[in-house]
Amino acid sequence: ESHTQYERVGADVTMKCGSMDWDAAVTWTANGTDIDESHLNGSYLILKNVDLTQSGQYSCYEGSSWHLKYQTSLRVGTPPKEPVLMCRSNNYPKGFYCSWHLPTPTYIPNSFNISVIHGTSEMVCEKDVFLKNRCHIRYLQLFSTVKYKVTLTVTNALGKNSTTLTFDEFAIVKPDPPESVVAKPVPNNPRRLEVSWQNPSSWPDPESFPLKFFLRYRPLILDQWQHVELSDGTSHTITDAYAGKEYIIQVAAKDNDIGTWSDWSVAVHATPWTEEPKHLTTEAQVTETTSASTSSFMPPPTTKIYDKGAVVGSGAVAVCWTAGLVLAAYGVLFI
Amino acid sequence: GDSWGIFTFLCAALCNLPALPALNCTEELGAGQSIQKTYDLTRYLEHQLRTLAGTYLNYLGPPFNEPDFNPPRLARAERVPSATVDLDLWRGLTDNARLAANYRAYSRLLCYLRALDGQAGTAELRHRLGHFCSSLQGLVLSIAGVMSSLGYPLPAGPSAPPGTPGTPGAPNDFLKKMDDFWLLKELQTWLWRSAKDFNRLKKKVPPAVVTLRLEARGF
Repeated sequence: ESHTQYERVGADVTMKCGSMDWDAAVTWTANGTDIDESHLNGSYLILKNVDLTQSGQYSCYEGSSWHLKYQTSLRVGTPPKEPVLMCRSNNYPKGFYCSWHLPTPTYIPNSFNISVIHGTSEMVCEKDVFLKNRCHIRYLQLFSTVKYKVTLTVTNALGKNSTTLTFDEFAIVKPDPPESVVAKPVPNNPRRLEVSWQNPSSWPDPESFPLKFFLRYRPLILDQWQHVELSDGTSHTITDAYAGKEYIIQVAAKDNDIGTWSDWSVAVHATPWTEEPKHLTTEAQVTETTSASTSSFMPPPTTKIYDKGAVVGSGAVAVCWTAGLVLAAYGVLFI
Repeated sequence: GDSWGIFTFLCAALCNLPALPALNCTEELGAGQSIQKTYDLTRYLEHQLRTLAGTYLNYLGPPFNEPDFNPPRLARAERVPSATVDLDLWRGLTDNARLAANYRAYSRLLCYLRALDGQAGTAELRHRLGHFCSSLQGLVLSIAGVMSSLGYPLPAGPSAPPGTPGTPGAPNDFLKKMDDFWLLKELQTWLWRSAKDFNRLKKKVPPAVVTLRLEARGF
């Protein structure tokens, strides 16, 4: 019958030819190729300081009859290093998923076991249908003060290792990037670009859990990005684009109140509208055009905040009034 | 930034004034706008709390100030109102129930925080706690304002404030610190929850304009 044997890289391996005596005459083969007698100690095969290339099928034959006495598959590998575990909620408030991998391969089969503990109860992490190193948890309760503790253990024939993550419900919220980002020129406006996008489809409830967005853009030929933060809406018009230059634009999303920013969306390219080029007859007109475009390169401003909800200036006055009224209303109730 | 400083100062100042001149005013008070302001206040408080909690937990010392500290909930800590709620239940709350839950929670949390203030060790800590309590009081009043503008009755006040005879105090120093730890945790979670509660209210309450004629005598 056939066996499998797992050994560590760098180990010394002794293979016995089944039940044969030490002094029996045998021949060993590795993947069908005879092994030189210098590796033999009696009928034992000695492999010193094994490396990955020595994995394979080892067979032992009785000397004269060529009877197959023993066969084993040698798999050289390493015990698992500490796995890398990541948990994230891209579908808040439905739940979260955890995903993991090994930092270096072990070259032998590994099995993973994940446990999710919330307070005193153990939760079930459902395996992902497509990805084998991912599982999903559904929240049973929202706004929990108790942390989640996720422990991943990886085991193989040569050892085991584990890692634990402890986190609050809010800390792991990170949406997927916005989808369907579209940037279009605006007719008759050489400095404008209209950008629109959609909420990531994985975000289940943008009504109750609205997202805010961060837009960045730059002309292809410059390295410095301009940023705009938008607390509302899924579109924005860039009004300070350099005429005639191709732009690269990306958008990121974040829950309005909790968690972290998503990765940047797929980049889109767009060039602002330009007038149909007139027929250039004189040299003076040509030079005029070139010098105009080079002089328009000044350091762009940095961050602007567009908050369609609040109007800061008149807000101070409105606040004073509201404060007085709120307290008056409260006082009226108690008189 | 600055407008919130003014807002909280006004709340604190107005709470302490013995009498106000009579107000005859007609003002258009949009419930939607009050909800927005209440929402903004919860965000402001959440930011303030981060600094306050950091300072307070350092004052309590290890293990309370360790980031991984994850103790089991002891039965005694149930006194502090919890924001934790079943997802479907939370979704299905009526506007009145949602507002009332927030109002009740912050009223009680304010009482507990004030008790903390009385015992806190350093002057800096007492100053921070005092400032935070004023802001939190502003939030309670703001929620009350929203409820009354929508025509909902205010829930009854907290039954037994801590420190009164009859309420069990912590039997030892460590358990007292645990109580403080959970109080801050619950407060933080409530502020996160309130942002979501008020988001939901913003969408559901139409920005209808309510005209209020107020004639207030002195307080």
